[in-house]
Amino acid sequence: MKTIIFLTIVLVSGALAGTLHGVANLAIVEPYLDQAIGIENQNLFASGEEEDTPQFWVEYDAYRDWQKGGQVLAGAILGTSIGALFGIVYAFSRHVLPQGNDLKKTITLAGIMWLTLFFIPFLKYPANPPTVGDAETVVLRAVLYLSFIAISGLGAVAFYQLSKKIKSKSKIISVVGYGIFIAIVFALMPPNPDEVNAPLDLVNGFRAMSVVAVSVFWVSVAVILGGLWHKFRPDSQIHSQNDM
Amino acid sequence: MSQSKGITITESKIPIFAIALLAVIFVLGVFVVGFDQGHIFSIVLGEQAYEDLYIHELTHDMRHAAGFPCH
Ligand SMILES: [Zn+2]
Repeated sequence: MKTIIFLTIVLVSGALAGTLHGVANLAIVEPYLDQAIGIENQNLFASGEEEDTPQFWVEYDAYRDWQKGGQVLAGAILGTSIGALFGIVYAFSRHVLPQGNDLKKTITLAGIMWLTLFFIPFLKYPANPPTVGDAETVVLRAVLYLSFIAISGLGAVAFYQLSKKIKSKSKIISVVGYGIFIAIVFALMPPNPDEVNAPLDLVNGFRAMSVVAVSVFWVSVAVILGGLWHKFRPDSQIHSQNDM
Repeated sequence: MSQSKGITITESKIPIFAIALLAVIFVLGVFVVGFDQGHIFSIVLGEQAYEDLYIHELTHDMRHAAGFPCH
């Protein structure tokens, strides 16, 4: 495999898709964040911790503008890192993904990773807007969330390996096995300990847009990596065969 | 014996170095965006970094939007 080309296309596709994720957040998630932080501000005024002065709003607006810019940068960083994981898994699984071009393969893999690493963990531990989380429980929540993602991802790999071992032609066994396994884990894992006190409209709207924006990332990373892989062929074995 | 190559060598091996590098990027990036509470800047700034929470503030909105636990 051509190492430099492989690394370059993996990192570029992750960074680009992550930037798109950040831009999508700006458009559809930030309005909910502003609303939630607005509630926090009202609480600060009510408790007397802050005063509702023009000066406060000047500083607040400047701070939020900086933070929104940071959010896009964070998208590029997160995208590069999730893209790196996607590249690793793709390199190892490319030969067993459905026959067809690289785009079909990357989209299939992204769908599986979106489901097992994002969407199912999201159903158990959904994203929350500011004001919901209790600072006291943040470490516990981080441990629960990461554990669930790790169990789900490793479970998916394990059931795939299992179905390969018993030489099952169909992938149904691994899908059903994983489904039962993750349903049990889902039921056994403790729930998020925090109570949701924020308005339900705000929380639900935020969650829906958060899912849309994360999905934008997964679609983008699949399309970009699939396209770049097809064009640059870091796997030279395929290169020599197909270019004849 | 002969090392000459008239055909394209099929190198389908996955380079371990590249995989290791990507794995490091994966862990670091997720930590920076999802979990840093001053840890990384504390290497240079010491205790002050845990007060400033610069990276936390900068990546904060993505932290919420991507589903990481926060406030
Ligand atoms: Zn927060």
